[in-house]
Amino acid sequence: MTRRNAVLAGALVTGIAGLWAGQAALEAAAMDQQVRAPVFEVDPFWPKPLPNGWVIGMTIGLGIDARDHVYVVHRQNTVNAQRDGGASADPPISECCSAAPPVLEFDPEGNLVNSWGGPGEGFTWPTSNHGIAIDHKDNIWIGGNGAGDSHVLKFTRDGRLLMQIGTPGQPTNSQSLTSFGRVAKIAFDVNANEAYFADGYSNRRVAVVDMDNGQVKRFWGAYGNAPDDTPTPGYDPDAPLIQQFRTPVHCAEPSSDGLVYVCDRPNDRIQVFRTDGTFVREVRIAPRTLGDGSVWDIAFSRDPEQTHLYLADGKNERIYVIQRNTLEILTEFGSGGRQPGQFFGVHSIATDSRGNLFTTETYEGRRLQKFVYKGMGMVARKQGVVWPGR
Amino acid sequence: MGSGRKHVPAAGLGLLVAAGIAVAALSPDDQAQAPNFEVDPFWPKPLPGNWLLGSVMGVAVDARDHVFVVHRMDSFNARTETGATSDPPIAECCASAPAVLEFDPEGNLAGSWGGPGQGYTWPAENHGIAVDPQGNIWIGGSGGTDTHLLKFARDGRFIAEVGRVASGGAAAGAGGGAGGDTATAGRAGRGGRGGRGRGRGAAPALPAASTSTDAFGGATRVSFDAGAGEAFVADGARNRRVAVVDINTGAIKRFWGAYGERPQDGDQTAYAPGGTPARQFGNPVACAQVSSDGMVYVCDRSNDRIQVFRTDGTFVTEKAILPRTLGDGSVWDIALSRDPQQRFLYVADGMNMKVHILDRQSLDVLATFGTGGRQPGQFSAVHSIAVDSNGNVYTGEAFEGKRVQRFNYRGMGPVTQANRGVLWPDTAR
Repeated sequence: MTRRNAVLAGALVTGIAGLWAGQAALEAAAMDQQVRAPVFEVDPFWPKPLPNGWVIGMTIGLGIDARDHVYVVHRQNTVNAQRDGGASADPPISECCSAAPPVLEFDPEGNLVNSWGGPGEGFTWPTSNHGIAIDHKDNIWIGGNGAGDSHVLKFTRDGRLLMQIGTPGQPTNSQSLTSFGRVAKIAFDVNANEAYFADGYSNRRVAVVDMDNGQVKRFWGAYGNAPDDTPTPGYDPDAPLIQQFRTPVHCAEPSSDGLVYVCDRPNDRIQVFRTDGTFVREVRIAPRTLGDGSVWDIAFSRDPEQTHLYLADGKNERIYVIQRNTLEILTEFGSGGRQPGQFFGVHSIATDSRGNLFTTETYEGRRLQKFVYKGMGMVARKQGVVWPGR
Repeated sequence: MGSGRKHVPAAGLGLLVAAGIAVAALSPDDQAQAPNFEVDPFWPKPLPGNWLLGSVMGVAVDARDHVFVVHRMDSFNARTETGATSDPPIAECCASAPAVLEFDPEGNLAGSWGGPGQGYTWPAENHGIAVDPQGNIWIGGSGGTDTHLLKFARDGRFIAEVGRVASGGAAAGAGGGAGGDTATAGRAGRGGRGGRGRGRGAAPALPAASTSTDAFGGATRVSFDAGAGEAFVADGARNRRVAVVDINTGAIKRFWGAYGERPQDGDQTAYAPGGTPARQFGNPVACAQVSSDGMVYVCDRSNDRIQVFRTDGTFVTEKAILPRTLGDGSVWDIALSRDPQQRFLYVADGMNMKVHILDRQSLDVLATFGTGGRQPGQFSAVHSIAVDSNGNVYTGEAFEGKRVQRFNYRGMGPVTQANRGVLWPDTAR
């Protein structure tokens, strides 16, 4: 290193240190502010270890049924046979491990009680499964974001096929009434008997589907516009907001009071609609986030009013607790890492009837975590990891 | 944890328990005692500064029970992990922590340093960390151009290079090599993805030179015989020997290969379970841990065996560990228990995702713990292991494991289950 470079490097380090000191002061101030919000604490020992030497890959969907059983869907083909999947190599190269079946069902204590999934007779398993949802009849809906995944599968809770919704292998078409474009997630308005598809990784719309016959009843794009599949330039935080969703449209969650919350992930925004597609409002979340974006998945608190909205941000690796009627971020928790309460690609989020929060992680995160609801209380605006005895 | 945790295990778990009992029944000594441990899910504390730990390549404990970790700063995926250091930043999370991290016994970060600096050549691929009798920190390197170890004061002040430095290394612009872990070398048909290397400007690998008296061939790990003033270097990623070094001068005093024979660097045949045991170490030679009674325990990782020597290189015995293991092999690292007799060896097995507890005298495997996975007490490529003065065990995970874990010592007890699975608190089982 030349002297000049050394001086430059020194100045850079000093500058970064200065920025960090400023950032630290801001964060300290933020930490001082307390706010009333739901309080959570990570449970490091939930779920129980999987049997049979199974491991999970990218865990790409999460749903909870009426009995508070927790379902995940993960990608078997992301378990590296030379590494974590050595027992499934041919010949086996180690005792550990092999990929669990794609769909896993855990009871409230974290015991694995069922497992199934994968290709079968009479239907096309997605090339890249994505999203799992359990309806009020305990049926299980699974989307897919891979090549040719233009359909959604509906199963009984033990994995018997009920319906294939949409024709597999169809191209992007946000106007289609017969196929979808790589559906990321499914949610339900049971009173209207309607399923909301976040459609998707190639389409740019919310599609509303009859839960019994799978017919597309209506659909819409950002701001309630007709969706347009024309490619859009990359997200620029300082540019005017675009009039279309970006792909992926990653969630579409109807609330009990007739609103639909849509994850417009790479646009770093939540858009809110009425169930008929009328645009209501939007909010930007961490709008300087690039890459995958900040708005990955949404779950509602389980009080009758669904007072709070929980937002998973797998790019900044945290959960936001949002006041649903104002869309104000009350607090956030989590940080990047492999320890309990930390995240790597926190992808999916759901609540059980007791208000407990569950998350799954994609990429190399590959975990299902539980955050125990501890009631309402005063918490910092930025909580960091929610460990016991903080 | 809560009272609602005592539940009947699922049927699948019952099978595992049955398997454990079956193994225990084969144990040669029903009265065998072994140390008990319990994972501490909240050690260490989260890192400050949005820092992440990369592939952990070494763990060591000093006389104050501070834990030193060396990890690979270039083991991150810029898109999914280190978005804060992209240009422009794409997220607030995260940035690599410095290469060397020091934690106090409570798990607070007490120091951080490492990486290229003036006056020394940082390894292309740092590998292994150890604390010598003076409290200085030694770091090896397994990269294709790494021929030396570095010695630092515990605050990161550079003291010495041990071994002649080849051109190359991180300071020469390699900035991280292509190899990832060391196990990519010499394993025919392995088919691994070569770790996390992204091939950024890595220099071609140097040839092995297992009889060199002034340089190493990818030194992976070092341990110390304080009484003799000697360092035992596992040499290494390319070389196939144990090299004994004067702690103070760094001079290579003697070296040996498998069975105490002269090391040879010819082609290696791939390890085949049941085949004729190789007369040479495979690559990497992953550890050479000297005991207080003058024995040296060598990790012949890809050959799935521990070889035991006297400190003069006389071969004593060997022990196969899960010899059907292919890929990266079963014997990744060894730590000795901290009782005066050092009664136990702890063997990190990053291929089978467990730690084996061995009786040091008989080399019998008394018990194992750990399973594959990302939860506390599970492992993904457990690579490194160390013990503190209270008997607590620390592990580091390489590849995508990227964790340091602590297992609190819970006293001795009878071995009731040879395969203990995850070491969770009783209340969580």
